[in-house]
Amino acid sequence: MWKVALKGIVARKGRLFLTSLAVILGTSFLSGTQIFSDTLNRTFDTLFAEVFADVNAYVRSSNVIETDFGAEERTLLPASIAEDVAKVEGVQSAIPQVQAYARIIGKDGEAIGSEGNGPPTFGAVMTENDVFWELLDGRAPANDTEVALDESSADAANYVVGDTVRISAKAGTRDFKLVGIAKYGGVSSPGGATFALFDLQTATEFLGTPGFIDAVLVVGDGSLSDRELADKITASLSSYKEIETLTGDEITKETQDQIGAVLDFFSIFLRIFAFIALGVATFVIYNVFSITAAQRMRESALLRAIGASRKQVTRALLIESAAVGLIGSAFGIVAGIGLSRGLKAMLQAFGVDLPSRGLVITGSAIVTTLVVGMIVTLIAGVFPARSAGKVPPIAAMRDSVSEVVTSRKSRFVFTVLCFVIGGASVIAVFAGAAAGILGLGVVAIFMGVLAIGPVTARPLAMLIGAPIQRLRGVTGTMARENAARNPKRTARTAAPVLIGVALVTAVTVLAASLRTEIRNLIGEQFKGDYAISVQTQGFGGLSPTLVDEVAKLSSVEQATSIGFATVKIADKGRFASVINPVTAAGLIDLEMIKGAQADLDADGVLVSEGQSEKLAVDIGDTVEAMLTDGSELELTVRGIFDNGTFTTGGFVVNRELFADRPTSQFDFAIYIVKKDGVSDESARAELGALVEQSGVGKLASRSEYIDDQAGQVNQLLGLVYGLLALSVIIAVVGIVITLLLSVFERRRELGLLRAVGMSRSQVRSSIRWESVITSLIGAVSGVILGIALGWVIVRALDDEGLKSYTLPIGGTIGILILSFMIGVIAAIYPARRATRMNVLESLSAS
Amino acid sequence: MTNLQTPPLDVAARAEGARKTYGKGENTVHALDGVTVDFKVGEFAAIMGPSGSGKSTLMHCLAGLDSLTEGRVIIDGTDLTGLSDKSLTTLRRDEIGFIFQAYNLVPTLTAEENIRLPLLLANRKGDEAWINRVIDAVGLRDRLHHKPSELSGGQQQRVAVARALASQPKIIFADEPTGNLDSRSGSEVLRFMRKVVDELDQTIVMVTHDPVAAAIADRIVFLADGKIVDEMRSPTAEKVLDRMKQFGN
Repeated sequence: MWKVALKGIVARKGRLFLTSLAVILGTSFLSGTQIFSDTLNRTFDTLFAEVFADVNAYVRSSNVIETDFGAEERTLLPASIAEDVAKVEGVQSAIPQVQAYARIIGKDGEAIGSEGNGPPTFGAVMTENDVFWELLDGRAPANDTEVALDESSADAANYVVGDTVRISAKAGTRDFKLVGIAKYGGVSSPGGATFALFDLQTATEFLGTPGFIDAVLVVGDGSLSDRELADKITASLSSYKEIETLTGDEITKETQDQIGAVLDFFSIFLRIFAFIALGVATFVIYNVFSITAAQRMRESALLRAIGASRKQVTRALLIESAAVGLIGSAFGIVAGIGLSRGLKAMLQAFGVDLPSRGLVITGSAIVTTLVVGMIVTLIAGVFPARSAGKVPPIAAMRDSVSEVVTSRKSRFVFTVLCFVIGGASVIAVFAGAAAGILGLGVVAIFMGVLAIGPVTARPLAMLIGAPIQRLRGVTGTMARENAARNPKRTARTAAPVLIGVALVTAVTVLAASLRTEIRNLIGEQFKGDYAISVQTQGFGGLSPTLVDEVAKLSSVEQATSIGFATVKIADKGRFASVINPVTAAGLIDLEMIKGAQADLDADGVLVSEGQSEKLAVDIGDTVEAMLTDGSELELTVRGIFDNGTFTTGGFVVNRELFADRPTSQFDFAIYIVKKDGVSDESARAELGALVEQSGVGKLASRSEYIDDQAGQVNQLLGLVYGLLALSVIIAVVGIVITLLLSVFERRRELGLLRAVGMSRSQVRSSIRWESVITSLIGAVSGVILGIALGWVIVRALDDEGLKSYTLPIGGTIGILILSFMIGVIAAIYPARRATRMNVLESLSAS
Repeated sequence: MTNLQTPPLDVAARAEGARKTYGKGENTVHALDGVTVDFKVGEFAAIMGPSGSGKSTLMHCLAGLDSLTEGRVIIDGTDLTGLSDKSLTTLRRDEIGFIFQAYNLVPTLTAEENIRLPLLLANRKGDEAWINRVIDAVGLRDRLHHKPSELSGGQQQRVAVARALASQPKIIFADEPTGNLDSRSGSEVLRFMRKVVDELDQTIVMVTHDPVAAAIADRIVFLADGKIVDEMRSPTAEKVLDRMKQFGN
């Protein structure tokens, strides 16, 4: 049987190619994401290994606040500790480290590096004879007017030694003289991050907190092992509280693991889309196997007649599936290499700039892709192979063979079952069950819709085909009939389109709802005329001094800022929003349910309704808190605000809480009311000049600001669209393959039509419209499903503060137009093949 | 029914009171209406009859491809009635050979692989000497490694006959084996089939509506409306043609 199966594969290269194509596309995304993640992981691992290569020990505070996504913020150390470490026996040098947010402003006034999504922008310390930084030009900065830059930042901004460089950091924006350009451990920019380098004194004052450092990097003199050195340092620092010393290997490993955790999160996000693409591809593979199995019915029947058992026929087809899976997955791995590059380019286009060195293809990536590809192909091949085995041997003697149709009853039962499961889980989630159940419900509903497909395909084809028939006459009629004549095949071809369109629609609905939500919220809560804002993701932002400068401007009546800080509240690290309740009055409206915004005192906290329920606290109660400087205190709840706010984390604290503490916090927005009588032009001019001087932040009017904030959703939406694009491409390829096989199958009929006078363009037209009808069957069902799905998700997110369901009518119409075009594009090649057939040959074909 | 005893050893296939009906009530069609017939070992028999006479149905039932509504079929002493799909498959594989009108060969396999296919399916080595004799009889030794598409129609059909012979079946059924061939290729295949019966002692039952083809048989069974209406021994094409003309009246 092996021989029959394998010979069959080799002999039908065209079919093998078509089937493998679907497998290749499906698996390439999987291997692509894996190669991409592996390469990224290896790049960072190498990077940190290089960064800490010369470090034998690392001294830091053991007091840490961990927040979501593996981020952490550590208590600072007094700068004097470095001198004590330097005195320890076995220490060659103890280098104080300060590394914090700083942005280098280019000559054009724009900050270099991407805001929010790119590699971090750092300010750090550089000393003479620095262990890490190697000077390429000039010298190390020596006083508070000098700076050095990493090579790639200097190149990017076209700075040379002697230029004046403007830099924005926690303490504000200042001009420095560029005295040196350096590279780091052999690379011009570690991880693509930008570095502005200062002497120690300037770094603590400008970037961080005067008198405090982040950590001490220790280089040993070689007399002790790293472990011995670390232990010795810890012992000698007994007068300091909460200090820990790690060996060079430990800090390397820890840093690698931290970034690894973030990258893992990212890989999982990508892999979700890879599996969606694989699911879509499974349908295409299943369809191709079904069609080719049907076309080979006679051959299967012949085998049965001369004594092959059902099992043998089924096995032959399964062997073929496995081989196709193996070959397709192997090519999928190769295609994945290209795709991993494409993925990087796409992420870059959306502002996520990731470094990569070389290309890492691990054995596990290869094995995973091969195994998953084979399993998926085998699953897709099981049903067609089984029905091929069921073909009656007598079919070998009949003229025409039709596909074996499974009973409608079991199909209906299955569909109803799926819908019941789906509906029940949706209701359960609405009633408060875990959101994860929703996933199960969605899968069940999809399966139900797909199972009922063959039943609905014919009426849908007739319905969608009706206007085409009226418009195109006889070719339209033929297109309509052809789409309707094999409903199972049409349904299977439309299924990948359905899945793709449903997901795209659901995402569009979700994004539209989010935009509306953001508009409503900001509209209600932000009352000013102007806003200065940055897009930050929890690292850096506007200097907290900027708001004071804004307030001093002559055209400004009132200005307040909103920022964030890491605070441990009730034993969990949180990003709390930081406001100044005095200046915020009338500018920020938190929509208080209980208490007043103005009651927020220095050691008070405002809590969202959701968090107040979780922590079971009410006005007047206290919550335990710890700041990043390690100080522990009790915050008194002064008010409870509505869940739906644009503040982060559900906690709001007073700016005064951080006054005179060595902690870092930044603002992400400044809200401004202009003085009465001041014209828009002059207010803008004055504010604009300040923003330009500061180098970071974007000035916007109230309506522009609202548009900007709502528009941030679009960036993510674009990324998700991009990642779903491959699934859509697979769906298109699915239509192409089906049409090619159908054209091959109907070549007799096409020859006959040509013989009796159908023109080439009529043949093309009929195939094109058949393709459009098929695509639209998937699209119409997909749009309906997607809108419903979007509604369910928005409803399920009600508790998270998403309250505005918005149906994007323009977007939905756009999706339908796109599906129409997909149909037209998919038909181009099959139609050409159909018209190229020789009339006589196709007539004599059997 | 009539005779429930085991048929004598020289009978390769037997139908007893074979009845095959389609549809119900007024629409009932009797494809076979009580046919009893024996085919002897070493005999080259032809079944003839006008369209719709039931000749193909009779052959399909004899070959275990289709089942009877009533009556029974015995192949080499085995009663096919009530056999499972599995046993029927084994029986077809080991005891019966087939030659169809067209689509006879697996297009992806070479001529030789097609000939050996029944053995491959049975996972059997087969009798090498026998296969060699068969291949010699086919006379296509130089084309054994060609694909069916590279052979002429007559050659393809000869390979099909050889495949039917490969597992040394008790009986070979041929369904219009020359129906798709021109007269020259047709007679080439018929001569080969005759040779197989004469030289290799095989039994062939052939359904045909071509008097020239039927004339090569030892015996012709005439069917009309599902019943056996006549039998002819040592036929010639003229005699067959005359008999067939009577059906037209």
